[in-house]
Amino acid sequence: MALTKPLGCIKCLSVVAVVIALGGIGFVYSGLYSMGADVPHNKLTYWVLETLRERSIARASGDIQVPTDIDSPDRLLAGGADYNDMCAGCHLKPGQKDSDLSLGLYPVPPNLTETQGEHGHADDDQTQPDQRRFWIIKHGIKASGMPAWGPGHDDDRIWNMVAFIEKLPTLSSGQYQILTARGETRDGHDQK
Amino acid sequence: MKNLIITISTLFSITALASTAQAHEPEQHMKDAEKPNCAAMKDMDHSKMDMNDPVMQAMMKQCMESMHADDEASETPADDQDEHMKHDAPPKDDETAATPDDNHHEKTEASEDKPGAEHSH
Repeated sequence: MALTKPLGCIKCLSVVAVVIALGGIGFVYSGLYSMGADVPHNKLTYWVLETLRERSIARASGDIQVPTDIDSPDRLLAGGADYNDMCAGCHLKPGQKDSDLSLGLYPVPPNLTETQGEHGHADDDQTQPDQRRFWIIKHGIKASGMPAWGPGHDDDRIWNMVAFIEKLPTLSSGQYQILTARGETRDGHDQK
Repeated sequence: MKNLIITISTLFSITALASTAQAHEPEQHMKDAEKPNCAAMKDMDHSKMDMNDPVMQAMMKQCMESMHADDEASETPADDQDEHMKHDAPPKDDETAATPDDNHHEKTEASEDKPGAEHSH
């Protein structure tokens, strides 16, 4: 008699779990969830995806070592030219408010000309922004529009972009133009 | 004949693969490269410039190299020597501008005490 109550409770929980699982599978197959980039996620989905992303990046980037010469002028010049060619279309330039890509992508790519606090992403309290940026540039982010640049770019070249992005919020349009111009002298500054 | 077609196809595939692998080399961007607008630096308030700032050092380096490139393109062989001597001398009113690498070197040495001095994995 004493055993029937716990067993009944387990049966009841099992039935609930099965119903939830079947309901979830049914919802996935129903096609009711909008996948259009112009329809934002609901709050629950957004929270789940954002938390998953941030926890994953924090864990994966925790052991990355930042080069000691991350502030060097050579890295800024090399990284600036690459940023202008590969990143500015989505992450913008000083003085630019939006672009076709920044308007159309979802999630909206962060405006890197603003400080982390200003662009309103969940990384406001990041304690290791350089490691985080390096990991994101190298590996990209699934289903976000952010590609993995690692396959075509070595680590040193990615660190150059990290160095430039760190300084980007402080740059004026004129400074940006000078730092990102490849000119004719140095094969696109790619010295580091 | 069949071998010839296979050989040509293989060569074409390898060439296409090689050109794809170089797609992100900096040289690929050079055809669209614009020159730095260093004239904008002249309008900046030089008294407020911090020559220890890596951004300022990078701008100075960029513009010095750009000026050298312009001079080399426009110089005649006769005045080549004189012009190089002018540019190699440090500016009188701003000695740090001529030594950005020195500043950087000091900074790098100072930062070698930091943990994690080596590059990433």
